[in-house]
Amino acid sequence: MIAVLGLVVGVVAGLLVQPEVPAAVVPYLPIAVVAALDAVFGGLRAMLDGIFDDKVFVVSFLSNVVVAALIVFLGDELGVGSQLSTGVVVVLGIRIFSNAAAIRRHVFRA
Amino acid sequence: MGNQDENDETPEYRLRKELPEEVPAAEPADDAAAEPAEPASTGRQRLVQGLWPPRVTRAQLIVAVLLFGLGFGLAVQVASNSDSGNALRGARQEDLVRILDELGDRSQRLEDEKQGLEKQRQELENSSDQAEEARKQTVEKERQLGILAGTVAAQGPGITMTIEDTKGTVEADMLLDAIQELRAAGAEAIQVNGVRVVAGTFLTESGKGVSVDGNKINTPFRFKVIGNPQDLEPALNIPGGVVQTLEKEQATVTVERSGKIVVDALRAAKRPDYARSSDR
Repeated sequence: MIAVLGLVVGVVAGLLVQPEVPAAVVPYLPIAVVAALDAVFGGLRAMLDGIFDDKVFVVSFLSNVVVAALIVFLGDELGVGSQLSTGVVVVLGIRIFSNAAAIRRHVFRA
Repeated sequence: MGNQDENDETPEYRLRKELPEEVPAAEPADDAAAEPAEPASTGRQRLVQGLWPPRVTRAQLIVAVLLFGLGFGLAVQVASNSDSGNALRGARQEDLVRILDELGDRSQRLEDEKQGLEKQRQELENSSDQAEEARKQTVEKERQLGILAGTVAAQGPGITMTIEDTKGTVEADMLLDAIQELRAAGAEAIQVNGVRVVAGTFLTESGKGVSVDGNKINTPFRFKVIGNPQDLEPALNIPGGVVQTLEKEQATVTVERSGKIVVDALRAAKRPDYARSSDR
């Protein structure tokens, strides 16, 4: 419950504050957000499976974000930034879908 | 897809339990088999338990912090992405370069067009200046010609000559002589008793008096003449000249110089009936 509250408060704070995104972070923020979403879905599924562990969640969340940003950075340096970002988003999207499917099976038994 | 699921769960398994538990081959089977086999309510129950009685545990707090970060980043990204006029924010570098090039070309073209139009405007202004100048000159010329033709009033230095003819001896030819003398001395505008003297002026005898252009004038004959007074007065007073001739006829002649003579007798502009300009 508190976790859900944290998410809601974060969204509200982001909408209210509307901070100017630093130019250095602009390319990485969307990918980082998608990676974090993936981690959250993974965590939700783990919780439904009864195997949730906060330490694992923290590590996977942070490492997802960092690795995603790193891949984008590397892609930019190599000159294939947009293609690599697309690839990352596709992979993360597939993972999110499969996790969502597992969650759905738990919740709706279908 | 299945692999990635495993990847996500494998570390959780590994960290949660000890190494021996990790059996990759058995795991997906276990996972796939367990879900339908287990009473589905357990998953739901866990979800409900986690949701409703709000418990402040370490796990909940940590997840809350991370989710706060996620929500914040999400909202910021969405907000910055939907900023008005920032359609270019997500554009790739090549696109931006192309757009910039196009804008450069376009502004170059517009600049050229602007220069052309400004040149045209300059030309038009010049020509309208010239037209204005020509119009001014025409007005000036009209005024000069108007003075000669007697259609406009004139003023300037000159003399007034009054001929008092008590005996009725002054004749038209004497007045004509006077006018000729004045013209020879450079008179520019002449009027006699309210009749403007112009190129076509004629003087005739009419009974006891004199007519100028058919208008009978009576003594005293008052000449208003514009011209250089230093030329006009001596021209009249030369020995054997106009004044002496008139005085011989026992008329009284007075000539006065004046700094400002107003010749205000006018004559209607008349279009010649027969004579036409021949330089066309």
